[in-house]
Amino acid sequence: MAQFLFLLFAIFTVLCAVGVVVNKNAVNASICLILCLVGVAGLFVQLDAYLLAFVLLLVYAGAVAALFLFIVMLLDVQGKETFGLRGIRTIAGFVAFALLLAGIGSVALKGQIVSSPPVSVAGGAQLKLYAYQLFTTYLLPVQIIGFLLLISMLGVIVLSKKHEITEDAP
Amino acid sequence: MDISVLQTLASRNLWGAITPEILLGGLALVLLVIELLFPKEHGRIVPVAALVGLVTILGGVLFNAPSAYLNQETFNGLLVHTHGGQVMRVFFLLAAIMVCVIARVSLAKQTLPRVEFYHIVLVVTAAMMLLAQSNHLVLFFVALETVTIGLYILVSYYRTSLTLEAGLKYLVMGALSSSLMLFGIVLLYGVAGNPALPAHTAQSMHYGQLAAFLAANPHNFLASIGIVLVLAGVAFKIGAFPFQIWVPDVYQGAPTPVTAFLAVSSKAVGFTALLALAGTVFASYAWLVAPVLTFFAATTLLFGNFAALTQHNVKRLIGLSGVSHAGFLLLGVAAVSRAPMAVGAIYFYLFAYLLASFAVFGVMAHVAGANDADQELDHYAGLAKDRPFLALVLALGLGSLAGIPPLVGFMGKLFIFIAAFQAGLYGLLAIAVIGVVVSIYYYFGWIKAAFFETWGKSADAPAHPARTPVDFVTGFALSALALAVVVLGFYQGPLGVWLSAR
Repeated sequence: MAQFLFLLFAIFTVLCAVGVVVNKNAVNASICLILCLVGVAGLFVQLDAYLLAFVLLLVYAGAVAALFLFIVMLLDVQGKETFGLRGIRTIAGFVAFALLLAGIGSVALKGQIVSSPPVSVAGGAQLKLYAYQLFTTYLLPVQIIGFLLLISMLGVIVLSKKHEITEDAP
Repeated sequence: MDISVLQTLASRNLWGAITPEILLGGLALVLLVIELLFPKEHGRIVPVAALVGLVTILGGVLFNAPSAYLNQETFNGLLVHTHGGQVMRVFFLLAAIMVCVIARVSLAKQTLPRVEFYHIVLVVTAAMMLLAQSNHLVLFFVALETVTIGLYILVSYYRTSLTLEAGLKYLVMGALSSSLMLFGIVLLYGVAGNPALPAHTAQSMHYGQLAAFLAANPHNFLASIGIVLVLAGVAFKIGAFPFQIWVPDVYQGAPTPVTAFLAVSSKAVGFTALLALAGTVFASYAWLVAPVLTFFAATTLLFGNFAALTQHNVKRLIGLSGVSHAGFLLLGVAAVSRAPMAVGAIYFYLFAYLLASFAVFGVMAHVAGANDADQELDHYAGLAKDRPFLALVLALGLGSLAGIPPLVGFMGKLFIFIAAFQAGLYGLLAIAVIGVVVSIYYYFGWIKAAFFETWGKSADAPAHPARTPVDFVTGFALSALALAVVVLGFYQGPLGVWLSAR
């Protein structure tokens, strides 16, 4: 059963990922991306990483990818441009493909993880444990991320708002 | 929740250990309040407030050195307060002060909001200071992202088409490098947490634990992929050779103070990270790290110097010369494992680079017109006659960057070369010497443009934008830099001792 579910979700994920790349219409590609993330979330559930699966669905599929979709529709991008495989682009594509194959091959040959069944539940696996760690052990990074969000917000305002000069330059 | 939880929390999260960073964050917030309270005069108050605050914090750090938390891990092992961390704290504060000084000159030529610029500079500086003391990959990555995202905003701050192009390029390349690094970190985390391997650990993001795991598994395949990816991510930040493609365009498009910030602070961030990771955590993977670093150093030295030869835009020139300086520093990093004095040499080189670079960038901010990206070598024609002070500062700064003997840049290069010699890196040393010779050509081309008449131009029509007069604060800062460049070349004294102390 587990084997079947894994295959189901894995094939679904890969097909959706291929769909993101080959789709000429940006809206369809974004929807494929969301479906791909749903597939990955299903794989996470099978690994007992429920929190990660839900975070992936809520944050990435729910918010980030939906935002992509929204922006694509707002900008009204049409998939008119087609990429021809010509000249240097073909060579680059083949080189990248060869590198990818070499990477997958080397990991498959040498990078096999010999693992025994997990002895303990990882710190981030359950919501309560995760939250506890976040606000005790990792309190400092959380505070830094607060400042990170503040400067990103300021940056959006500075880069997008029309500025009227109100004072003389020093 | 009972009281003991809070007590253990308080005993582990020693906020007193990061007082300078907290003060910087507070100062950044105060600047926003100043804008609210003084809507009319904040353009005048904010830069002064930022500068006074930075100088006060720098004084506090120097006065309290050595820190009470020296060689101690705080925040559950997220931070470690070493001597090197203290040195880099001072470095980043000095750099922030100079960025604010240059920004006063440069922003005065634009009609743009002021407060946000200083705010972001302060927050980014605080993140850099934390990064220099990080002892954990989670904190490392969070601080690095704070630095990078702040710099994305600063790079496109002037909102001209060239600036926005630079911002977009930096964003895309930065995202790529961050994802490479993150992939490497995840691989290391996963491998080091695998219960089937010896010395596996639940805290595999902690530098000490990770180093112990790597020492117990010196030839793990996945760990070595992770190490290469992390090194590649860091190499993006310092602009080492295969990952330097973003440097010229971004340096040209970014506002001059931000170019200085990128060139000095952002590069130093990369090198503190590299020292912490390549020097200590990955020490047991020297079979892998040493060839990678050697490759980076050799190609970066060659590329940076030869690419800078043909540049006419001074910002592109200083960007590519910055790549070559990264090469010299990488030479030092490659020497660390076999010559312990290299660490001190790298710190000294970074300080020499800071002094000389900010002297040059300070002059650039005065010579530049309203179009900040357009700074050609020709604009420096007649600078010596027109503004002898600026020309002198420029000559000293460039001379130091080129490594001309009595100046501090020469001593920096000398210490790095001695360390490389001790480590037996003779091939790299030869490449570095070639690099020095080539670099003298383009630095002196710039000096020539400033000091000697250019032929074939009519004398009456000024071909350059109007030069800003030097005000008191900037004049003081530039004189101090020029003086330090000369004095430290002759006498390193207590500064040299402090930098090379372990």
